[in-house]
Amino acid sequence: MTRFLSPKSAVRGVTSVALVLGAALLLSACSGGGPANDEKSADATTVTITDNHGKVEVPVNPKTVVALDNTSFDTLSAWDVDLAAVPKGVMGSVWPEYTDDEKVIDVGNHREPNLEAIVAAQPDLIIGGYRFGDYYDEIKKQNPQAVVIEIAPREGEDVFAELERQTEILGQIFDREDDAKALNDKLEAAMADAKTAYNGTDTVMAVNTSAGKIGYIAPETGRALGPVFPALGWVPALEVEGGTSNHKGDDISVEAIADSNPDWIVALDRDAAFAVEDREAGSAPATELISNAEALKNVTAVKDGHIVILDANFYLTEGIQAYTELFKQLGTAFSAK
Amino acid sequence: MSTLASTVEEPPRLKQRWWPLATAILVVASLLVASIAIGVYDITADDFGGELVWITRVPRTLALVLAGAALATSGLVMQMLTQNRFVDATTSGTTEWAALGLLLSALLLPDLGLVGKMVVASCFAFVGAMLFMLILNRVVIRTTLVVPLIGIMLGAVVSAATTFIAAQFNLLQMLGTWFMGSFTAVTRGRYEVLWVVAIVTLLVFLLADRITVAGLGKDVATSVGLNYRAILYSGTALVAIAAGVTVVVVGFLPLLGLVVPNIVSMIRGDHVRANLPWVALGGIALVTVCDIIGRVIIRPFEVPVSMVLGLVGAVVFITLLLRRQRG
Repeated sequence: MTRFLSPKSAVRGVTSVALVLGAALLLSACSGGGPANDEKSADATTVTITDNHGKVEVPVNPKTVVALDNTSFDTLSAWDVDLAAVPKGVMGSVWPEYTDDEKVIDVGNHREPNLEAIVAAQPDLIIGGYRFGDYYDEIKKQNPQAVVIEIAPREGEDVFAELERQTEILGQIFDREDDAKALNDKLEAAMADAKTAYNGTDTVMAVNTSAGKIGYIAPETGRALGPVFPALGWVPALEVEGGTSNHKGDDISVEAIADSNPDWIVALDRDAAFAVEDREAGSAPATELISNAEALKNVTAVKDGHIVILDANFYLTEGIQAYTELFKQLGTAFSAK
Repeated sequence: MSTLASTVEEPPRLKQRWWPLATAILVVASLLVASIAIGVYDITADDFGGELVWITRVPRTLALVLAGAALATSGLVMQMLTQNRFVDATTSGTTEWAALGLLLSALLLPDLGLVGKMVVASCFAFVGAMLFMLILNRVVIRTTLVVPLIGIMLGAVVSAATTFIAAQFNLLQMLGTWFMGSFTAVTRGRYEVLWVVAIVTLLVFLLADRITVAGLGKDVATSVGLNYRAILYSGTALVAIAAGVTVVVVGFLPLLGLVVPNIVSMIRGDHVRANLPWVALGGIALVTVCDIIGRVIIRPFEVPVSMVLGLVGAVVFITLLLRRQRG
């Protein structure tokens, strides 16, 4: 065998081995080398994480990954994780590197998923849950060779702590713990800024808009914006007595909004992602719907221009980056008055 | 034929005729006043309250009147033309066709204004209603139940297509909100197109006698010198416009056109012309009551009128079915 090895390549081989060894030493030295570190060290092949169902052993840097959870795509995309299959039906045009790549198999959308597409991808790791939560058992049964995890924010838990937990777990799996920590720090910083920007007394109403109608998003429990209320200490302009999860997106008349007279209106525009290119820059149906409503012209939020419209793709992303951006946006808006 | 009917029926009614109708008008009027009075904002609190009456309360109440009257009377027309009591825009698939038209116009012609969308929706509704009539003509067994079943099946097929298209373009959520019959979003500037259906209601009144005759069947109608086809087409067109316009402005209002004419004919017997004002008033009353219920039960939020109407309508529909089965 040595016959075929030229002196030059032998030298290269030795140096690279030395480099790797050195790097490993350095890494273990840096991280302090506790007993817990064994399962995470650079040459470990698996890591034990706790997902929404319990402890799972996951291969580190798994070769073939399928992701179904929208809240994970931003992180995976930022870390250049290749995905074998994704639900293109619920990804809009936010992650073209996955949706436009024909080699990435399409699982469809969660209402009519093509679960066999996952089997066809022969994945080592499946990041399921969120919209695909209902299919957990089925996916697990169909893919015995794969590790199936669900790490999306759990119902009833603090969304932001949950997003940090998710990012941490992804960091462990893809060996990007520093990047994960950076993401978590950014979220916390943006949250702190947004909290400082809020004066503590202004009343806020969160709404969603769709098809020309305004829906009410309940503080704490409502979709997307609900958790922001307790996180930033917002005073709700209108509170539901007794009801918690019942009124997530109720019909609300413009009169009721006028009556509660919020100082701020924050709106999730569910149609914003629709036909964006057809619309003039800066205009959104939600802005028009709220600012142009005759019945709302005396509302403080409208008079002062205190209307914040969420990013058009927020209802698709919803991950830690999306919330970080949202908090930044809120921080800027609330401090600009 | 119609003169015969009126000579037979009218004399005993003449004396008491205006009393019940006047009472009914009074009842409906007070419902409308209640509709204007009920709302979240205290309209007596400040100057803006008075303004708000014209911005939200009056338009909403007018929309209830227009939609209620048009859908109830067009339900009656549909029942006459198909000679079946269980047919209206919702049980013949007509509203589903209108919805498909609306979705397609929004997708393919996004710049089309509200009026354009209404035209497209109404055209689709017309095609759907005509298709329903065509299929009915070819069906041999036309029992009371088979006819609406055909319509409901047709509607299901069309709405499956609509849902599929919406799913392809990620519009499912929007579709749900869009077609959920609700007067919540009705304010000044956003309901005026509904006046079109006032014309529809008026035309139904004018054509009432001819529609009655057409309702006796093609042979009878032709033998008394009526242009059966013309009446069939214009009646269907009226139904289609009523369905198309209301779907675009407020969404689906299920069973309204079915329940009201049936209740009226149960109480008063069959006489289209004499029943028409009752049907119109009944439609207004039913949709207004349902809307008020929807506004009150989870204040300050609202339950869409279609939900209340669906519930009330289903109960009445089933009661009617059972009664007729026994009789």
